[in-house]
Order: sequence, then C-alpha cells, then structure tokens
Amino acid sequence: MKQEIECPLMPCKESTAKLLSEEAIALIREGKAKKINAMWLEVTGCSGNIISFLNGENPGLDYVLTQLINLTYNNSLMGEEGEKAFQIFLDTLDTEFILLVDGAVSTKDNGLYNIVAKHKGKNITALEAVKMAGEKAKYVLAVGTCASHGGISAARPNPSGSKSVKDVLNREVIRLPGCPCHPDWVTGTLAHLVAHGKPELDSLGRPIIFYGATIHDSCTRRGYFDKGIFAKKLGEKECMFKLGCRGPVTRTDCPRRKWNGYVNWPVEANTPCIGCAQAYFPDGMEPFVRY
Amino acid sequence: MSKVITIDPITRMSGFLEITAKVEGNLVIDASTSGLLFRGFEKMLRGRSPLDAIYFTERICGICSTAHGMASTLALEDALKVFPNENDKYIRDILHGFEFLQNHIRHFYLYVIPSYVKLPDIHPISPQDSKDFRLPNHLNERISKNYIKAIEYSRLAHEGLAVLGGKAPHNHGIFVGGVTVNIDAYKLEKVKSIISKIKEFSNVMLEDAYIIAKYYPDYFKKGITYPYFMSYGVFNNYHEKELIYANPGVSIDGKTYELDSNKITENIHYAWYISDKNVKRPGEDIEYQVDISKKKAYTFIKAPRYEGLPMQVGPLARLIINGEYKGGNGTMDRIIARAIETKRIAEIMEILCQKVEIKNNNQEIYSMPDKAYGVGLIDTTRGALGHWVSIENKVIRNYDIITPTMWNLSPKDEKGLYGTTEKALVGTEVKNTEDPIELGRIARAFDPCVSCATHVIVEGREPIEIRVL
Repeated sequence: MKQEIECPLMPCKESTAKLLSEEAIALIREGKAKKINAMWLEVTGCSGNIISFLNGENPGLDYVLTQLINLTYNNSLMGEEGEKAFQIFLDTLDTEFILLVDGAVSTKDNGLYNIVAKHKGKNITALEAVKMAGEKAKYVLAVGTCASHGGISAARPNPSGSKSVKDVLNREVIRLPGCPCHPDWVTGTLAHLVAHGKPELDSLGRPIIFYGATIHDSCTRRGYFDKGIFAKKLGEKECMFKLGCRGPVTRTDCPRRKWNGYVNWPVEANTPCIGCAQAYFPDGMEPFVRY
Repeated sequence: MSKVITIDPITRMSGFLEITAKVEGNLVIDASTSGLLFRGFEKMLRGRSPLDAIYFTERICGICSTAHGMASTLALEDALKVFPNENDKYIRDILHGFEFLQNHIRHFYLYVIPSYVKLPDIHPISPQDSKDFRLPNHLNERISKNYIKAIEYSRLAHEGLAVLGGKAPHNHGIFVGGVTVNIDAYKLEKVKSIISKIKEFSNVMLEDAYIIAKYYPDYFKKGITYPYFMSYGVFNNYHEKELIYANPGVSIDGKTYELDSNKITENIHYAWYISDKNVKRPGEDIEYQVDISKKKAYTFIKAPRYEGLPMQVGPLARLIINGEYKGGNGTMDRIIARAIETKRIAEIMEILCQKVEIKNNNQEIYSMPDKAYGVGLIDTTRGALGHWVSIENKVIRNYDIITPTMWNLSPKDEKGLYGTTEKALVGTEVKNTEDPIELGRIARAFDPCVSCATHVIVEGREPIEIRVL
C-alpha cells in the first residue's frame, strides 16, 4: 500500500466552515441529519466569543441559526429575559442538545462570583449551570481560551478561582481555544457534529481540522524566519520571532484562514502572535511583547 | 401592598445583571441593580509587563475591547512620555471609530429592538413573549429586515477594524506610539468603502430609532435619571475643527463645567468588597477584599462619583455636554442619542480617512522606566473610561480601571444616593407587574456591560506609599 504523506496545511484547506456547513445543511434537508438544539452559555469571561461568533461570514449568523442549529438559549441574543429566559434553559435540558460554553467557570465561594440567573428565588451560579447542562448535553464545546483552559479569567493569581469547563465536568469536552475563538472554528465544528459526528480530536480535545498545524508552520512571514531576517520592533514587516512571537508553539490556522472576512491576522498587523489559543495563555505566554 | 420584582438575567447585554424593584401598586418605589460577575483584572495585572496591559485589558470586554486598548495605550503613553504623530492618531481613531459602529449597531438592533419589535421566528430571538408590541405591520416588517441587515453591518465594522488592527475582538493594532499598521492605498480604500456602507446604514438606523420613538413616546418620560452628565472626550485632540466630535466636560443641572478628574472617587459601601477605606481615588493604592457575605451589599460594581454625584456617561452625555442634543434625559432620548452618534462618528471617520497620508507607522523600541505613573482618560462606546497605571521596577505596580458601566450601573453610595440606572428605575409605572417589560427597556438603554464593570479588586496587597492624584 502506498504510504500517504500528510501535508499539515491540507486539513485547513479542506475544512472551511462553509463547506462543512453546506454539507451538514444538505443532510438536514434530505432528512439524513437533524437540526439539533444548542445552548450557548456565557459564563466567567468577556463574552467576546459570542461577539466573534456574530462576526461569522459564509456562513453568517442568520444562516447558522435558521439552517444549522436550533439555538434555544443565549444571553446576548435571546428575546426573553428573567425567569422566562431561564425556563428555556431548563426546558432544553430535557432534549438532545449541544452545549457551548463561552468563558471559564468561576469556583470561588461556591461559584458565587458569577451568577447567571435567579430561579424561584435561588441564585444559579455559572458553576451550577455548566454542571446542569454539561452532564446532559450530547456534546460540550468549550468556546474560546477561558472555557478551554481557564484563559485570562484564570490568570494569576486567579482571584475568582476560574477553571476550564473540562475541569468542572467529568466528561469529554471539545476544546475550541482562541481569544476569541474564530467563528469558523465554532461553526465548522458544529457542522461536523451535525453531518459527521465528532471530529478527530488531538490529545487536548481540539479538532485537528482547525488546530492541526502551528502558526509557525503556515506563517506568511516564514520566509523571513528561514532567512534569519527579524523585526526589531512592532510595526515592521519581517519575522516577529525575536519580539516574542508565540507562533512556533500556537496551534491554529490564523495565517491561512485570517480573521473578520478573512482580511488580516495579528502578525500581518506587524505584531507578534501572543499565543492566545494556547493552554497557558496568558501567564505562560508573557511578555506578549519582548523589548 | 408592595411587591418585589426580580429580573435575572437581564438578557441582551454583555455580562450578568439583575434588577430588583419594589413596586407599590404599579409604581416602582425602590430599585437596585446588581452586577453578578467578578474576575479581578486589577489584581491580575500586578507584576506584569506594562506594555502587555494593552492586549491584556482588551480582554476585560468582548464587545468593547478596543476601548480598553485605547485607554491602556493612553495611560502608558502618559507614563512613558510618548507622543504619537497626527497621522497615527487619525488611524487609531478610525480603529476606535469602527468599535463604536460595531457596538452601537449591535446594541440598537440586537439588544434593544427585540423589546419593541416582533422579530422573525428564529431561536433564540424568539420566543418574544411581550404583549407590548405597538408597530403597525409594515414598520414592524421594515425593522425586522433591518435587524438581519444589522448582523451584516456590525460584522463589517469589525472587518474594518481588522484591516487596520489584525483582528476583532481583541485587536493588535493599537499600541504605544500610535498604531502598528503601515497604511497603504489598498487598506485605506477598503476602510473607506466599509465606512461608506455603514454610514448609509446609519441613516436607516436613525430612521428606525425615530420610528420606535414615535410609537413608544411614553419612553421619553420613562427612565429619567439625574441631570448629571460626564465625558472625557473622544475624537477631540485635533487642531481641525471638522474632526472634533465630543470635548470633555461635565453637565450638572443644565450647567456645563470643565472636567476635573481629581473630583472622581469610587466607593464600596454597597459592593461586595471590604477595605479600611470605603472611598478612594482612582490610582490610589488601597487594598480591597471580596466579601460576598457583606451586609447590605448587593453587587460587584463599585460606585464611582464625581464631586459626590452619580454621573451618566455615554452617547446622550456626550451630545448634551457638547450642546448637540436639546431633548430630555429619558430612555428614548438615550436610544436616539446612540443612533445620532453612530451617524456622526461614521461622518467623522470619513473625514479622518481624507486626512490620512500613506506613510509608515512610527513604532519605537520602548524602554521601561523604573518608576512612572500614567492616566488614560477617553470616552468610548459606552462612555467615560479611565485607566490609571503605576509602574515600579519596570513592572505594573498598580492598575485601576473605572469603566463607563461602573458609572451608569453603580449601586448606592454611603450617602444613600441611588446609582444612575437605579434612579432611572425608581418612579417608573409598571403596567403589568407580572410582565415588567419597562424595567429591562430602561436598563438596556444605558447599554450596560457588566463584563466591564466588575473586573475590579485589589486584594491582599502589602501596604506601600499612598499616592494621591
């Protein structure tokens, strides 16, 4: 048998969120896959991952919500408020659903540093909500670095006792780190779940289709690195390695995929990658800028 | 007989907010707003490299990260005595402008509109259980369609931001000394094209705001709060008059004064923090600890005050201080002010683009002083944002942040004065206490962001010399 030589960039090229979504939606229309319920729970973080999700393009938000998933609960978008809103959360627990968590889970003082709702006079902490939904969900997606690894919310000295979703749930969690998480990484993973089930994950639970290669592997400035030409300060066009670039250890497809309508990414903004999708971000990635 | 209404979560905002209102008959006689998230950024920042504060503090908030990048950069430039040139300031303000456009469009359509307009049956936008939708069909349909368009235009605003800053949220392009982008003709044209599209949509948004106002005129009278407004100014540090949008200032009881930042204090009387001192000045190095069992406390948000007064910050404050709004101080005034501002900022961004020259950035290698102190005050999407940084042994010694939402969503202070939103809620007539839609409408008009407001706390600090501004 011929041995396959795997190019680390191929998965990125074959896995646009658009292709995956189209495939999933076609299956839904043919009745071969189901438009599954989903809940997007914002917890201990900046809610930047939902904002990034709103930045999705091809497929955009309205397409995802009308065609791909039935998002029943999300604090930023939902029409309802108060008890009625939280009742939707409770009702969804009894269905088959995907849980997306945006933010870490604060655990200090029994989780009281982050209350997400009041139900029948009782405070519902982020910790309780993540546990309630996390135990019942068909899949759990940790969206962003805080949910995946603790992230900025757990930065030393971690005043809120923030933990990753995986650390508070005794089950498999698909990690989609990135600060924020790229909308394609979320939509692509959702589409994969709908059309093909669980994507292939690495040892940390990250889908290999998006997190298979390091930024350095596919960096648009790799040519400078290979020739040993380095930027001496931010704002220059050469390799950012000597300014503290974390591209060599950070696994995402930012250089090829790019951001916000696929127009740019941090290194092309003449700044170093700060390793925002890595497990030890931010503490293990400092200083972000080395002078 | 009185009744207590609690709404938690107040959805369609950034972060976690609870409103509690005591109602007698149909009248709100007491109200409190509680921010229910605590992370402790100021504590985390201690000991870190000062230059890292820019990208670090952006992560306080996902919807207004550029605001923190700006304030942090200004504070560091103040501390390091760095003065960016005009061209880089233009570009930086265009970056910041895109954040305004993104934020205001999302706030108006995605957060505010679902309380007033029956939208298409798409989860989780539906269900919308309100019984108070008043628009005639054709107008309801118009704004429903614009809701979907707003998703695209707000996305586009972040695309403009990314052209100049790498990505959004949490851009890399705003930095000490100006910006990191080397602007070229293509990037500039791309940015101009995006601004022109959004400017056109801002006219639609303004019309939609007036449509809402026409059918909900009672909301000019609902949500009236103190006549105290404050702004640190934004798009104002220019010689050219046509570039100036909002100068800093304070308006109290109809009179306008110069801003004096030394008059700012913050107190923790009703917040879940304990300290030797209940009131401090920003930048002053004082130890706080979290205590969620503290009696009478009900929020993680501290209470900033200006000359002891709870101020309102944001688009309405900017317009009133600068004499550009002659209306009132109610919920609908706040909604209209935000729409007016969106159009104004798109216009200013167009002029900024005309001024931008195709030149490289002016980044330098910045060496860190052993000791320095800097303040960055700027108005951002939601209002006045301040960062206070002190540097010692080349690392961050102390970092204070007072966000716009801390002003708008503060709790009561030691004198018992309600916070700005609380004051807006008290006196409201709630038509149906089983469906108190008025309260959420009033609170959302302030565009609260609890992610931003409850980052604070400095605990377990060894005592050092106290610095008073």
